[in-house]
Amino acid sequence: MGTENPGRPNFPMRPSFTPFASAPPTVRPFSPSGPGTGSESSNFRPIPPGAPPTMTPFSAAGPSPPVRFSDPSVPSAPIASVPPSGAPYQRFPTPPFPSAAQAPPNRAPPMGQPPFQPPAGQISVPPPFFRPQTQVLPVPMGSPPQNANFPPSSMNVPQPPTDSSLSGPRPNFQPPFPGYPSKQPAVSQAPSPFPAQQGSFMPPPASPSPFPSQQGSYGPPPVSATLGYQSRDQMQHPGSAPPTGGVQRLTEDFSSLSVQSIPGTNDPGLDNRSLPRPLDGDVVPSSFLEMYPMNCDPRYLRLTTAAIPNSQSLVARWHLPLGAVVCPLAEAPEGEEVPVINFASTGIIRCRRCRTYVNPYVTFTDAGRKWRCNICSLLNDVPGEYFANLDATGRRIDLDQRPELIKGSVEFVAPTEYMVRPPMPPLYFFLIDVSISAVRSGMIEVVAETIRSCLDELPGFPRTQIGFITYDSTVHFYNMKSSLTQPQMMVVSDLDDIFVPLPDDLLVNFSESRNVVETFLDSLPSMFQDNVNVESAFGPALKAAFMVMSQLGGKLLIFQNSLPSLGVGRLKLRGDDLRVYGTDEEHILRLPEDPFYKQMAADLTKYQIGVNIYAFSDKYTDIASLGTLAKYTGGQVYYYPSFRSGIHGDKLRHELARDLTRETAWEAVMRIRCGKGIRFTSYHGNFMLRSTDLLALPTVDCDKAYAMQLSLEETLLTTQTVYFQVALLYTASCGERRIRVYTAAAPVVTDLGEMYRQADTGAIFSLFSRLAIEKTLTGKLEDARNSLQLMLVKALREYRNLYSVQHRLGARMIYPESLKFLCLYGLALFKSVPLKGGYADVQLDERCAAGFTMMALPVKKLLKLLYPSLIRIDEYLLKPSAQADDFKNIMKRLPLVSENLDSRGLYIYDDGFRFVIWFGRMVSPDIAKNLLGPDFAAELSRVTLTEHDNEMSRRLMKILKKLRESDPSYYQLPYLVRQGEQPREGLLLLVNLIEDQMGGTTGYANWITLIHRQVQQN
Amino acid sequence: MAWDLIFWVLCFFINIALLASSFYQLLSLSDLEADHLNPFEATTRINSIVLPDFLLQAFLCLSFLLTWHWFMFLFTLPITAYHLMLYLNRKHLLDVTEIFRDLNTEKKYRFVKLAVYLLLFTVVLFRLVISASTLYTMKSMFIHIDFWGSTVGGICKLVIRIF
Repeated sequence: MGTENPGRPNFPMRPSFTPFASAPPTVRPFSPSGPGTGSESSNFRPIPPGAPPTMTPFSAAGPSPPVRFSDPSVPSAPIASVPPSGAPYQRFPTPPFPSAAQAPPNRAPPMGQPPFQPPAGQISVPPPFFRPQTQVLPVPMGSPPQNANFPPSSMNVPQPPTDSSLSGPRPNFQPPFPGYPSKQPAVSQAPSPFPAQQGSFMPPPASPSPFPSQQGSYGPPPVSATLGYQSRDQMQHPGSAPPTGGVQRLTEDFSSLSVQSIPGTNDPGLDNRSLPRPLDGDVVPSSFLEMYPMNCDPRYLRLTTAAIPNSQSLVARWHLPLGAVVCPLAEAPEGEEVPVINFASTGIIRCRRCRTYVNPYVTFTDAGRKWRCNICSLLNDVPGEYFANLDATGRRIDLDQRPELIKGSVEFVAPTEYMVRPPMPPLYFFLIDVSISAVRSGMIEVVAETIRSCLDELPGFPRTQIGFITYDSTVHFYNMKSSLTQPQMMVVSDLDDIFVPLPDDLLVNFSESRNVVETFLDSLPSMFQDNVNVESAFGPALKAAFMVMSQLGGKLLIFQNSLPSLGVGRLKLRGDDLRVYGTDEEHILRLPEDPFYKQMAADLTKYQIGVNIYAFSDKYTDIASLGTLAKYTGGQVYYYPSFRSGIHGDKLRHELARDLTRETAWEAVMRIRCGKGIRFTSYHGNFMLRSTDLLALPTVDCDKAYAMQLSLEETLLTTQTVYFQVALLYTASCGERRIRVYTAAAPVVTDLGEMYRQADTGAIFSLFSRLAIEKTLTGKLEDARNSLQLMLVKALREYRNLYSVQHRLGARMIYPESLKFLCLYGLALFKSVPLKGGYADVQLDERCAAGFTMMALPVKKLLKLLYPSLIRIDEYLLKPSAQADDFKNIMKRLPLVSENLDSRGLYIYDDGFRFVIWFGRMVSPDIAKNLLGPDFAAELSRVTLTEHDNEMSRRLMKILKKLRESDPSYYQLPYLVRQGEQPREGLLLLVNLIEDQMGGTTGYANWITLIHRQVQQN
Repeated sequence: MAWDLIFWVLCFFINIALLASSFYQLLSLSDLEADHLNPFEATTRINSIVLPDFLLQAFLCLSFLLTWHWFMFLFTLPITAYHLMLYLNRKHLLDVTEIFRDLNTEKKYRFVKLAVYLLLFTVVLFRLVISASTLYTMKSMFIHIDFWGSTVGGICKLVIRIF
């Protein structure tokens, strides 16, 4: 049946879509509505060509009435009509049966005939159709009118579905009958909402004849209601499990752990090995793309659950965060780059009203002259240059040449309307601390050397601008005019009233002044070699940099080595007073001390300056204050405590180089739009809000992600699908203004269980961690942890309540399969640097720096940080010959339990930010000797890992290199530690084995028991 | 007697100023919410009048206390105390970076203030009228008759002249 159009991408969509048409919401409103409107609408239907405009209101107002009305009025008629129509469709009835076995979606076959089938196959999963049948009844009724109207349309009928598939689930869109262009507008608008119409497409085949008698018995209203539910269910579970299908299904709906704790003992009674662990790293749920193949890739946009609740009461029962995580510039693997589209003369096609960009889910009607926005359902004109005819199935004939109509992620070249000024050039400005501590640590040398080596790779080559300021107790400017042979240094010592000594030439075009810049970088380390100044005029220097950059904006890299001590923004030592910890005043230590920093951050954002902070001090530098600058300007904080160029040089080198050379978007703003009835209400990450829903991002790159939470504005959603569209307007390094657009669709569901099934642990924890970190800024660490725990418990309790009625759960802890790592990641978050313990566990600066970092991390990276990998490598190193495929085998991650550390083994612990290489006490001296060279017996804190001239060492280096390549955003510096070497071992590795019970923290099994107990208490 | 009137007139104007300030702040916030104003501008506008607003309110409250208007003093005390608390916690100014997060709270707070000031306004107006009228009745006891006499006489004369 379905072989004809197998290749079509749309098919999968269509099944799901049909259900949408029969939106339950529509049903509800209507049933109450008066029959009078129903009659009216019914009139309209027959006369589709009639008046499209008038029709529209109806669709919105009371589509259901027609259904009802039609039921009573034409009860028998519809049935009768179906069979007749069936004649033309003869194929349908027959096919359904054969296919029926596998795919209840038979509805598809009826209308779609061949084209539809494919979808049916895909959707086949839905076993549910127990009820469908009874429910189906209504459909035929509704459909009859249509059939009657378009008896000849049998040919066309199949088309509508395909059309709809293109357009997406939107109910309104479905109806359009390609065959009747003139009628389309009217029909599509008004009828679509009516379940009946939808019904006409799919259901007729399913059970037309068997239920006629039933129809009669049913009152119209009940029918409509059931219909609504059924259809909704169908749509919801197209690919996955039946909503509330058979009992057998139910039993498989959740996973469970039996927890039989023995009262009075600490033994959790859990088998440690059976506990779920994310040893495969981040697993992206596939349903997101399966259901809507035209959605953008999950690397750009992930929803915490791919099933949007339809009512506020359902939201209230979903205790996990409801929202999305967006990583707007995530790196795409080779071959999957986002296509760039230039509309040139046409202008970018957007919805008139809601400003949505054209996307795969819009529907074209009226022979291609109009398109309907999928977010606000407004009918827009298609500009002349963009016009294309529709083919027999209602698809545009030029679809293949229009990536924006088939792909969820595209990039538009923005015309001048999208610019408030000419696109800025990439601009890098460096603010370097040259006080004595900076000189001593060797930071200046590494920085100068790295910048110099990256000069050739700076993006946007001929236009790139560059500039430098250094400071200690005074601020030094450098004139880099291209005509000079050497940079001129100007010193400003009036810190109270800082001024810029030269109007220009402090910021120069790099390609013109290249020689001067290189000379400067070469001489920078030696210039301050003998500097003994201990002061740091950070605030004034920052202001100076701001003045220099404010014309253009750009990226400001600050290398700060000590606590700012002079001029505005000077900070004092905080956190020494132990009495503050554990009180209500504690969180103030994690907030900027001086309002100067927030004000400055706001000003920097306003002028499109993004700040990255590199902090190096071994003493307290108040990262909480400094990091604020990065937080509100879309930047990030790199923290190298006790920096020594000999040890940490590589890390700084790599990370600075990455910062300078990665693809960066300049002067960007980002907005996420979503369908009617829902709204994004809070945003979390490193950025500043410019208006209620507009994120100002002076610079963005692939290592930044933003999270947002949504809420329902209406008590009940009336649509069946919700669309999201992320738009990032930015200036590319090449000087082009561009708009990156990601579109995604998600079904609306009525069932809490379905929300759990479609949940995405990664996105949930991305939001969780951001919420928890924000909480530490307004309260105690303990409060943040408690609220997190409470949310976990509430969510699991709600889930348990879903099933506790039908099942004897007893002492089992149940959780949805999609959230099997919920508890473990929760525990990991508890033990993560920003949240763990109290005063003594983590240095204040380190805690703040980790907080700022985690606020920006993409999902995958965050999960790696929460649950790092532990790999045993000694066997691989000892193997006589190593093949490439061996490599995969050794990358087997182990649970983070100290029992797993064999004292004869060699392990690598990798959390994405550093390696810890653990040498067992009884590891063969051979290995140690080969890897560490002659000083293998020395204390490992003094040994650095370098490559030695032997196979084993080379292999180890290869492994490290491989691990680093898997995620280049940070450089993992190897720390060596030997078993039993305290306290180093404890600090580096043992505290990070999060499944272990350490100090005052809980182990994994106990944690499960604890959560389980709380879940059971009501 | 005259002092009383002057005092109430003063209160009246201060109250109007406070009302206007609250209203203006509220307006700026809703403009911000509707995207007619950017956060930088909105916060600058509001923050520039926060302190004068606080001072005026404190002055009003204090003057009620000093003039022994106990009821009025107690009526204005809560707001003054709240202002003082905000000021001591350094939370009196809007934070431009987090303004959207605080928007609802800030609006609510200003709404309450506006409502209180409106209530205060009616009371002050009432007292103003009372004190004005008492003053008037006291002073015009004697002029009263004369005034009426002359007016009526004047009108009569006018009427006579016309006819």
